[in-house]
Amino acid sequence: MGERAGYRIASVITALAASMLLLFLTVPVGQLVAVGGVSGLAQLGHDAELRDALALTAVTASVATILGVFGGTPLAYLLARRAFRGRAVVAAVLDLPIVIPHPVAGIALLLALGRQSPAGSVLLALGLRLTGSVTGIVCAMLFVAAPLYLSAAREAFARVDPRYEAVARTLGDPAWRAFRRVTLPLARRGLVAAAVVMWARAISEFGAIVILTYNPKVASVLSYDRFTSYGLGAALPVAAVLVIFALIPLIALRTLRYDRSAAGL
Amino acid sequence: MIAATGLCVRAGSFRLTDITFEVPDGGYGIVIGPAGAGKTTLLEAIGGIVPVTGGRVALGGRDVTGLPPDARNVGLVYQHAYLFPHLSVGANIGYGASDLAIGRELSRRFGAGDLWERDVRSLSGGERQIAALARALARRPSVLLLDEPFSALDPRRRASVRRELRAVHREAGFTVLQVTHDFAEAGLLGDVAILLDGGRLLQAGSPENVFRHPASPYVAEFLGAENVYAGELRAADALQADPDDGPGAAHRAFEFRTAPGGLSMMAVGDAVPGPAHAVIRAEEVVLSLAATGSSARNEYQGQIVEIAASGALVRVTIDVGGTPLVAALTTRSARDLGLAAGMTVHASFKAMAVHLC
Repeated sequence: MGERAGYRIASVITALAASMLLLFLTVPVGQLVAVGGVSGLAQLGHDAELRDALALTAVTASVATILGVFGGTPLAYLLARRAFRGRAVVAAVLDLPIVIPHPVAGIALLLALGRQSPAGSVLLALGLRLTGSVTGIVCAMLFVAAPLYLSAAREAFARVDPRYEAVARTLGDPAWRAFRRVTLPLARRGLVAAAVVMWARAISEFGAIVILTYNPKVASVLSYDRFTSYGLGAALPVAAVLVIFALIPLIALRTLRYDRSAAGL
Repeated sequence: MIAATGLCVRAGSFRLTDITFEVPDGGYGIVIGPAGAGKTTLLEAIGGIVPVTGGRVALGGRDVTGLPPDARNVGLVYQHAYLFPHLSVGANIGYGASDLAIGRELSRRFGAGDLWERDVRSLSGGERQIAALARALARRPSVLLLDEPFSALDPRRRASVRRELRAVHREAGFTVLQVTHDFAEAGLLGDVAILLDGGRLLQAGSPENVFRHPASPYVAEFLGAENVYAGELRAADALQADPDDGPGAAHRAFEFRTAPGGLSMMAVGDAVPGPAHAVIRAEEVVLSLAATGSSARNEYQGQIVEIAASGALVRVTIDVGGTPLVAALTTRSARDLGLAAGMTVHASFKAMAVHLC
């Protein structure tokens, strides 16, 4: 067998493998939207519980994202810019919530912030209850999704050459003003993308939330609840609406990115 | 004034060790060295961009070692300009300026007035460097740090920008420290030459001293120029070219007189009358036993004081009325001419061989 024939066979195998994976990733979601999308959207008109669950999901995911951006941005900047002993360890620990099973994340949160814990007692005294509450949902979303923001934001800051800041400093800017006037605008696209990914991850969270707060129900818990109580047919419209809900910002983000890339921005 | 005393810097795995030099108030210092010598790190340490691990930095007589860059009143121009891509050229130039009019005036003087409204991303490398220079100057710094700031400019633009920078420097009186890997590319010698290699200071001092008395054979080899004279430049108006004659027409004829010694020579170049340096490579100097009557504009009679052999070449030092002049020629030429210490010879070189700085 010649080298050329071998190359052709390798190309065919590679194309097949790529196509299979593409189909595997897109068909279930596509089928879900195709089968349940229209009925799900129609159900929004008369299913108050679904509307409430979606609204709760959107609000809690947004609050978690705001908290993540607020605390995560300076932390990501620090990790991208400052060399300090143990930086790699800190970065690895911050990535941990991405890799541990999400119910485990819920249990860890319950242990650390539940009513039996010292921190939980303080939260309770402040009127913030972690279990069976909106606070619990936000905490679970923040815990599992913030590492995604941190990681992407760190990359966004690392892509900005520190010499831009150096020049701004020599032009009279104190560190914080150089950050606001130069670094932040230059990293903005990456930070927005990171926030969108965090938001999308937060609205799809189930495992950690269900440990902390079954009620009130977010959309993912509601779809699980309908599946276990009424079967696939009842869960399908809810699941399809949740997929559409998550897809909208992601598609908007990708479209914006490609448009800008094509324009050379 | 820029004064570095025992300066030590660690940037990643690179170290700058025990750097000491001084550029006087309103002076022009040149940092020379090969790639990786630590030239940019030195500028960044003086600007407060990288922290020093030892020694001290004083600017204008004030110890600024522990001060942040925004408290040092320095301007910094990197080779790659680092214009802020999210701002227009005008917004870049006006970024640190207290008065936008200063930025506009500087842009006009450097021939970049029409770039003001442009998007930074549409600029050429040379235009970026000019805008970055205007941006640094618009803040009216007391110290200007330049990292190969003209490298992306075409030769003609480079000459005009360099000339304008010297004029601005004379008017404003700030102190300059400019990095280059090649003094000829920089086109000037300034008041202080600082030689770096491998993070260490090889030599620092007046250019004629550094060039004429290199501290080591490495420095001599690195500099590659033996005849360096400080002196006074006067326009030789009768030979002046019309500035509209096309490329090269900006070169004018000058008479250069060394001080001390008073050796007079004709030179052609893009320079400003006044105190200057003239550099002639030893390879450009031709020796003969009698007057040649050739087209070379500069011809002198002198006495050989030293002949130093170096492989197939010899370097012959001639005393011309108290001014040393070094000629390089092949060993065979030296043998054919029968050169020996104490002999009287004629040395000649073209006006174009005189590099004005």
